[in-house]
Amino acid sequence: MSYQPPGDMPMTWLIGRRAAIEAMQDRLSLLMGVGFAIIVPVLLVALIVRSVGAGPGADGEPLGGDMLALYLLIVGLLPTISAIGIASGQFAGEKERGILTPLLASPASNGAIFAGKVLGAIIPPLVYAVVADCVYLLSLVVLVGPAELLLLPLPLCLTMIALVPLVACFAASVASLISSRVRTYNAAQQIGGMVLMPLWGVVFALAGKLADWGPVGMLGVLAGLALLDVVVTTVAAGTWRREEVLAHR
Amino acid sequence: MIEAHGLRREFGAVVAVDDVSLSVPDGTILALLGPNGAGKTTTVRLLAGLLAPTAGEATVAGCDVRADPAAVRLRVGLVTDTPGLHDQMTPLAYLDFFGRVYGLDSEARARRVDELLHLFDLQGFGRTRMAGFSRGMQQKVALARALLHEPPVVFLDEPTAGLDPMSARTVRDLIVGLKNASRSIVLCTHDLDEAERLADKVAILAHGRLVASDSAAALRASASQETLVHVLLAAPCAVAVTIAERAAGVSDPILSQTAQGPLLAYRTVHPLQTNPQVIAGLVGAGAAIVSVTCTSATLEDVYATAVGSTPSTSTLAGAYR
Repeated sequence: MSYQPPGDMPMTWLIGRRAAIEAMQDRLSLLMGVGFAIIVPVLLVALIVRSVGAGPGADGEPLGGDMLALYLLIVGLLPTISAIGIASGQFAGEKERGILTPLLASPASNGAIFAGKVLGAIIPPLVYAVVADCVYLLSLVVLVGPAELLLLPLPLCLTMIALVPLVACFAASVASLISSRVRTYNAAQQIGGMVLMPLWGVVFALAGKLADWGPVGMLGVLAGLALLDVVVTTVAAGTWRREEVLAHR
Repeated sequence: MIEAHGLRREFGAVVAVDDVSLSVPDGTILALLGPNGAGKTTTVRLLAGLLAPTAGEATVAGCDVRADPAAVRLRVGLVTDTPGLHDQMTPLAYLDFFGRVYGLDSEARARRVDELLHLFDLQGFGRTRMAGFSRGMQQKVALARALLHEPPVVFLDEPTAGLDPMSARTVRDLIVGLKNASRSIVLCTHDLDEAERLADKVAILAHGRLVASDSAAALRASASQETLVHVLLAAPCAVAVTIAERAAGVSDPILSQTAQGPLLAYRTVHPLQTNPQVIAGLVGAGAAIVSVTCTSATLEDVYATAVGSTPSTSTLAGAYR
């Protein structure tokens, strides 16, 4: 017997992929994901965009392209809220159910386990976010008209879309950090929610101003968030120790 | 091979394990006994490279638990007190995942998974989600996971808990098979009979400290040199106690009436010399003897003494006083 375990990157992917698959097999997460990815974008277009500001039968002022682009962020970010629940389940939840120890007993490094868990908490919300943005754009075409797409400013749209994975990564890292340091799933979810909910408010407020800041401002915000993600994830993965999970007696 | 010297682990102000030293050579089974909270799980976690010792040294399969815990983890198989399975996964997917984590290539994974599913009679359930599995089936999958990478050292925490008698026997046979394949095995169990049957050496932990460590036979012998002798008579014999008292080396003789008939009980350090005298005396007095039974101290007696519990009425010392 002499086996060589994978390096940190392949191990991270291995753990992250399995965690993501399991999260997507969870019925509650699946229901929430489908709701956020399909129902919310359709309702947004049908009830707000179509009736308030654009398309045939609209009774108000036409919605500007900036607002339509902001909705792209809103429908993309809503599914990422589930990253808190998934991350809470990855450490605290698995510990409560007694299923974390076999992985901790494996040759996987602390960094690979933590990063894998973060990845597992990001992948499902991002899949739902991609679906949600596609459904939103499709709904615009079907319910309002293809001409509506021409109103969307491309740089702002790309910025809004790029914000989604960056915010999801930050949320998953922070939620994983919390989840790995508390004892119960409920505590992880509550603390994660309290810490991260204001983040969404800040992101939406920031996104509302982006159109005024121009492409350079947009790139600056994206670069800043990306840097924050790298710092938070690296520090979280670097400081987490499997002992912290096992030392709670 | 496991070698540990003076292991200590603190959790804040709590000392979970204190000054634990043990040795488990290749091809040896060590049974780790002790009440809940005695430090068995922490000891196993220290030796399996999951926790770093606060003090002390240990090498497992040639690797230092403090300097290279990842190498230790690669060389040990661990079955925890709960199976710890992802119930939405199938055994095939679950074992395949851990096979990848331990670095088995696709051919080795397929071979080992197939071997282990057959060994544990799970081949028909390979593609069934584990959510509906019984505790016994879950335990089998956990065992398969622990043995997947053919580790030279295996830690088993209550491996037969929840298993039906035949499955438990399969697991015990497997443990003996692992021992014969020169693996070092640490078996945490509350089943003293299982410990006595399987283990070459027994270590008893209490309050984080090792309070006894030797072979089961040596521990029993050290617990009490005395043998409890039961002589079942066909009919009452008024002089039975007097006859026993006259024999050299007999202590605490007592005659009681049981459902089977009158029973003479006494303790002796030298049954080979004492019993023939007593039996000859009884036969000479006209007593008809149905059976003679000798019982030395059990591992349960040793355990109860070691962990500081009040001995039960069945223990050697207290039974006939």
